[in-house]
Amino acid sequence: VRIGIAGAGSMGTTHAAAWASTDAALVAIAAEPGRRPTELAERYGATACASLDELIELVDVVDVCAPTDRHHDIVLAAAAAGKQVICEKPLALTSSQARAMIAACRTAGVELLVGHVVRFFPEYVAAKHAIERGAVGTPAVLRFTRSTYRPRGRGDDWFADPARSGGLLLDLMIHDIDQARWMAGDVTRVYARSLAVQRPEAGVDHCLALLTHANGAISHLEASWAYPVPVFRTRFEVAGTAGVLDHDADRDAPVRATLAAAGAAAADVPLPGSPMHEPPHTTELRHFLAVLRGEEPRRVAAVDGLAALLVAEAAARSLHSDQPEPVATEEMPA
Amino acid sequence: MSPRTDGRPRIGLLSAAHLHVDAYVANLRAAGADVVGLTDDDPGRGQAWCAAHDVPWFDRAERLLDANLDGVVVCSETADHRRDVEAAAAAGVGVLCEKPLATTEEDAAALVAACATAGVPLLTAFPMRFSAPMREVRELLATGSLGQVYAAMGTNQGELPMRHRAWFVEPTRSGGGALMDHVVHLTDVLRWYLDAEVTEVFATTNRILHAPTVTVETGGLVMLAFDSGVFASIDCSWSKPDVYPTWGGLRLELVGERGIVGVDAFAQRLTVHGGPEGPLAWPAWGSDANQGLIDDLVAVLRDGAVPSVTGEDGLAATRVALAAARSAASGAPVRLDHREPGR
Repeated sequence: VRIGIAGAGSMGTTHAAAWASTDAALVAIAAEPGRRPTELAERYGATACASLDELIELVDVVDVCAPTDRHHDIVLAAAAAGKQVICEKPLALTSSQARAMIAACRTAGVELLVGHVVRFFPEYVAAKHAIERGAVGTPAVLRFTRSTYRPRGRGDDWFADPARSGGLLLDLMIHDIDQARWMAGDVTRVYARSLAVQRPEAGVDHCLALLTHANGAISHLEASWAYPVPVFRTRFEVAGTAGVLDHDADRDAPVRATLAAAGAAAADVPLPGSPMHEPPHTTELRHFLAVLRGEEPRRVAAVDGLAALLVAEAAARSLHSDQPEPVATEEMPA
Repeated sequence: MSPRTDGRPRIGLLSAAHLHVDAYVANLRAAGADVVGLTDDDPGRGQAWCAAHDVPWFDRAERLLDANLDGVVVCSETADHRRDVEAAAAAGVGVLCEKPLATTEEDAAALVAACATAGVPLLTAFPMRFSAPMREVRELLATGSLGQVYAAMGTNQGELPMRHRAWFVEPTRSGGGALMDHVVHLTDVLRWYLDAEVTEVFATTNRILHAPTVTVETGGLVMLAFDSGVFASIDCSWSKPDVYPTWGGLRLELVGERGIVGVDAFAQRLTVHGGPEGPLAWPAWGSDANQGLIDDLVAVLRDGAVPSVTGEDGLAATRVALAAARSAASGAPVRLDHREPGR
């Protein structure tokens, strides 16, 4: 399988490294139009493309790692060319874009695999399996926290522009929206508050959302870009009729180094993670490859990406209306 | 209030309904108070409690209130707080009342007014005001090192309390479920930390945990808006299973101008595996917040000190818990208007 990565920033770099440890062939990388990502492409022996069209010509699978506002156009171009598609999260900036992308891929008969990578983080997978085993009984009250600093885009700082990244809700909270759905099912109502709306002069964002699930469970979601560099903390707790399980990355860190100060080194785009034999992004892409080869059922469907966006959009409406907002329902063919 | 010549305030206990009375009796003795006696609507419960704690039994509240008391601790069912506090106020003795102050706003306001009219001090049992970790954060905020506080996330989760006292889950006696039980502590902490009042409350609740056993909500998530612009969430769920190593816990994180501060009021504990306590136990070694509360009561009654936490504080927190219940029922946020202290 010939892979092409559209987008040569932080996520494109992460995916390139992940593809290199699979048996797929990373053959092409494209950056923003007009710039060849020579250095990254050379590192993996891939062609540095000057345009998306050039990349699409060379590959079987387009792996979309471009800024979020570009997802829609790239996916439509790839689908029109009959290429399989992998797309980073969030699937798109809006649910209507996502709907169009799903329809285009369906029409073209190609896969659209969404990179909700937290479904491949082993601590979350372990929790999902524990819930399925009945370890906590029926989930009732769930809590998810994802706390870090605002990422910085390579070159232009596109994360800072909500019109391009979707801001904190779409870029960060979307992970835990997907987790809440994964563990407790569809969401019908959202009430949310954010620092960006309440106190725009603060210059940082922090968002809390209370979700009501269709089955009656309730979830507390906390996403933060208010932490100092280089913090990235994730936590979750699932309380159910038989018990409670929790994870706290800070509390459960297996390695603690207390070293003489050398200045805080931090990635442009913070990535959480515990030491593992395989990084979750690699696990995710290996799974996507197996799906494309018909070897595994999808762990995350394109409609999951759309469903997460619909919850995020309800949250965004709530931030401004100060009212709980219903989540738009969608006919979602599997 | 006339201070005792021997400096030992005489305290009566109005009911053993609330389990905190078990702790308070030891705290009162440690604080140098005389525990004069206990009365209870349920003579069986009261007499058994008195025998277990070596406290004289009084068959009627009037007789206890007539026993030359300086103050009472009201540990009755929440629905009876108003009756008991008003009786104490009429007898001219100071009051420490368990939380929440009442099951209705009318009752809470009435019992606060009764004490104000009678000129007797009224304290609300918010021991977190006396928790050493919670106080350290209050002091940290006062230094300004966090800068302006923007947002807060609190959890005050617990076991289903009916294992200790069945009336906690009977709405006519307790006023409700997890919302009435566990919203008030963090609300009070936030009012104390922020020196601000709650202007809007939204709550979403469910009854999945213990659904066959109780009729009240057992899961609850609440969002508060303060007049200072801060928004804060409270998880008040009874979401700790019966096998949890302790009753529950209270944690709070504050997001501010210069970072984040987190506090776990009950983090000061050992982890013990094995032995008579079972496979996992958490014996606490932190300072006893209840002792601080009772010491404050004794200082008020003996020395005429100003209470650190008042009936007004209890009323404000009760209004928030009741607003949360209304929000959960209606599905819409509930606005709270401000009242001048002493109203």
